[in-house]
Amino acid sequence: MHRNCRDADMTKLTRRALIHAGMGLAAAVAAPAGLARAQATPLILYNGQHRATTEALVAAFTKATGIKVTERNAESPELASQIIEEGARSPADVFFSEQSPPIASLAERGLLGQVDPATLKLIPDKFAARDGTWIGTSVRTRVLTYNKKLITPEQLPKSIMDVASPAYAGKIGYVKQDGFQEQVMAIVHIRGRPAALEWLKTLKANGRAYNGNRIASTAVENGEIAFALSNNYYWYSLAREKGAANLASALYSFPGDDAGNIFNVSAAGMLKTSRNQETAQRFLAFMLSQEGQVAMADTTAEYPVISGVTSPFELAPLSAFTAPVSPADMGSASDAYSLEREAGLI
Amino acid sequence: MRPPLWLVLACLVPSVLALMPIAYVALRSIEAGTSGILQDLVRPYTLNLLVNTLTLSVSVTVCAGLIAVAAAWCTERCDLPGRPVWRLVVTLPLAIPAYVSSFAWASLGPWFQEMQGAILILTFYSVPLIYLPVCAALRGLDPNFEDVARSLGLSRSRSFLRVVLPQISPALGAGALLVASHMLAEFGALSFLRVETFTTAIYDQYTAEFNNNAAALLSGVLMLICLPVAFGEAAVRGRRRYARISRGSARLLTPIALGGFTPVVMLALALLAVASFVVPLVTLGFWVWQGSSTGRGIATVVPAMFTSLGYALPGAVLTTVLAIPLVVGSIQFRGWIARVSDRLPYLVHGLPGIVVALAGVFMSIRYLPEVYQSTTLVLLVYAVLFLPLAQSAVRASAELVPRELTDVARSLGKPPLAAFVLAMLPNLAPGIGAALALVALQLMRELTATLLLAPAGVVTLATEFWSYTSDRAYGAAAPFAAALVLISGVPVYLFTMRALRVVERP
Repeated sequence: MHRNCRDADMTKLTRRALIHAGMGLAAAVAAPAGLARAQATPLILYNGQHRATTEALVAAFTKATGIKVTERNAESPELASQIIEEGARSPADVFFSEQSPPIASLAERGLLGQVDPATLKLIPDKFAARDGTWIGTSVRTRVLTYNKKLITPEQLPKSIMDVASPAYAGKIGYVKQDGFQEQVMAIVHIRGRPAALEWLKTLKANGRAYNGNRIASTAVENGEIAFALSNNYYWYSLAREKGAANLASALYSFPGDDAGNIFNVSAAGMLKTSRNQETAQRFLAFMLSQEGQVAMADTTAEYPVISGVTSPFELAPLSAFTAPVSPADMGSASDAYSLEREAGLI
Repeated sequence: MRPPLWLVLACLVPSVLALMPIAYVALRSIEAGTSGILQDLVRPYTLNLLVNTLTLSVSVTVCAGLIAVAAAWCTERCDLPGRPVWRLVVTLPLAIPAYVSSFAWASLGPWFQEMQGAILILTFYSVPLIYLPVCAALRGLDPNFEDVARSLGLSRSRSFLRVVLPQISPALGAGALLVASHMLAEFGALSFLRVETFTTAIYDQYTAEFNNNAAALLSGVLMLICLPVAFGEAAVRGRRRYARISRGSARLLTPIALGGFTPVVMLALALLAVASFVVPLVTLGFWVWQGSSTGRGIATVVPAMFTSLGYALPGAVLTTVLAIPLVVGSIQFRGWIARVSDRLPYLVHGLPGIVVALAGVFMSIRYLPEVYQSTTLVLLVYAVLFLPLAQSAVRASAELVPRELTDVARSLGKPPLAAFVLAMLPNLAPGIGAALALVALQLMRELTATLLLAPAGVVTLATEFWSYTSDRAYGAAAPFAAALVLISGVPVYLFTMRALRVVERP
């Protein structure tokens, strides 16, 4: 435990050095601050991202710009539904979503404005909306969480396509939200629609559905089920709470270029109806600045989206995830839902 | 007789409020229907939801009803030693939010999940809601009726079925109605237990598809299921009159000797308490002991507690004030308008919290943008969510007041409103007290409406618990749950004492 703490401090130190190096960019982002500081109205942020992450980000933003941010916290899909009901009268300026599909659904309804092109340029295209309405702010990967006492890595499936084969009947858990749609879309892209439908049907027949990644990964940890499809950071947050050495569960990725090795992003965008657009754009730019990325990376086990910032968590290198489908391709993943309907999952 | 104007106006407010989510669901469902989603409804998946929803709601209501009546009989009519203590023991589970207890139980293993686990856990949780009104009804019974039945040669069990049961049936029905409609809307607990009902499917629609129309369509189906529940209870109650002018026999009931069954009954009640109270509390303790996040945010516990109270108490007062005219109107005036307006809130009670909250968003931002995301709006939505709890509690008192009382006041020259305030209101006091406690209790753990509609930055015990558990910071979350249980104990205690106000006679 103590050793880990020291390691974390070390990484922080090196990152601090990096920040100094990246001061130029930060200064560029904060440049018009002096002007706005006097009269800036607080930014209204609808936040579906984990609260600790957003609070760290907001604190850094306010410190850098002097602009206050009013947060409304809830689950991302709830907030997306709320914004849809609010329509043109939404008080929100910026929506920060834990996953990209909720924010993409707002884009499809024409509720988002364009993100500043300069901001979009800060990240690779695959992390942002094709139409430039939202930006990915951090990356997480899809993984298998498995219980070390119930199954060994050698016994685990070699491909996402095999996870629901009869050999694993009753051993696989899955969650229909948060990352699952993206998984289905990746299979559609690589193997085609009929294969994806078949995959969903066997998953329904042989798998056990959980109502949330958190619940599923707890079930794996407790030995209720051998393994589950999940997002990487749930294991890390449990490891932080209980200590990694005390965990019965571990993470596993499929070997090679598998359709199961995909990544998802947390995403943010500005409401088209925002009455505070200049500040909203500054906030989005700040999210992709060195300071903003460091603030977020420190609080959650996700990969930063700009080069030069590293996560203090010991994450597997992102290069292993040769994702065939990127969040940009995904949109609100509506085809995944019609497939899930056909398979009787929803 | 026509209801007085003040009553009509006073009934109008809660009726309009309750109509808002109904109108919202109808509007959105029509949009869904025209866009062809209707076919989606006719699938094996929907049938499966229907079966699950009905199985859960009926099983929990029946099991909780049986346990509650048995427990009430033992603690009220039998010579069980230490009865006041046992009464509190049976009502303690009320202090534990269902999402806390189901989390605790679900982590014990797969057997406690799915349908059997859900029925088990939610039954424990629901027992007090039926137990308390039934206890109160048992205490109010006139022993003469039973004496007559016994003297006419009926056995003890037959006289229970033919004399006692009909008299406690309004209380039993009211409690059962609350439980049944609550089960239709339960979400938090079920998500840990892996049971799919209409409500969880509605959440799926919001969380996976961002399809508010499809979600509304499922909500519409849910309301249709709730319809027979809401009106059925009124039919069971019928047009019988429960008010009595005379005080009845002054003779006391002799408690029935339990004899050899005493330890069995005590063991059963103790097990009930362990299952519904001790298991969740031990789990919270475990979180604190094991979690590295323990202590984080601890300074917010007390301010969050005050905010929780600051919303729950005014919310309870508003809800109760709105409930009184509905109850009085439906009891004293038998017209269909009075009956329907009394039942409307029960329909809404069967809807998931997210639907009611979004209806609040929809209506407020279009027609009353000034109150959007203000305290006023969140209190109004609280009232819509929990009116039936207040109605049931007030009704238990109002049924016992002879309507002639108001007539007498009127004949003495008092105007209608004054006649109500002077003659009727004081007699409703026990019911009003119970309503305040029960609604405050539920409001302290309300989450969705608070998150979406309260002014930004409002931090309650429930929002903090949600926030920390979704980061898996269980150690940090536990004190908030513990504080919630602790302050819930106050209304539970008051409610129990209120409901069972008749002093234990020697």
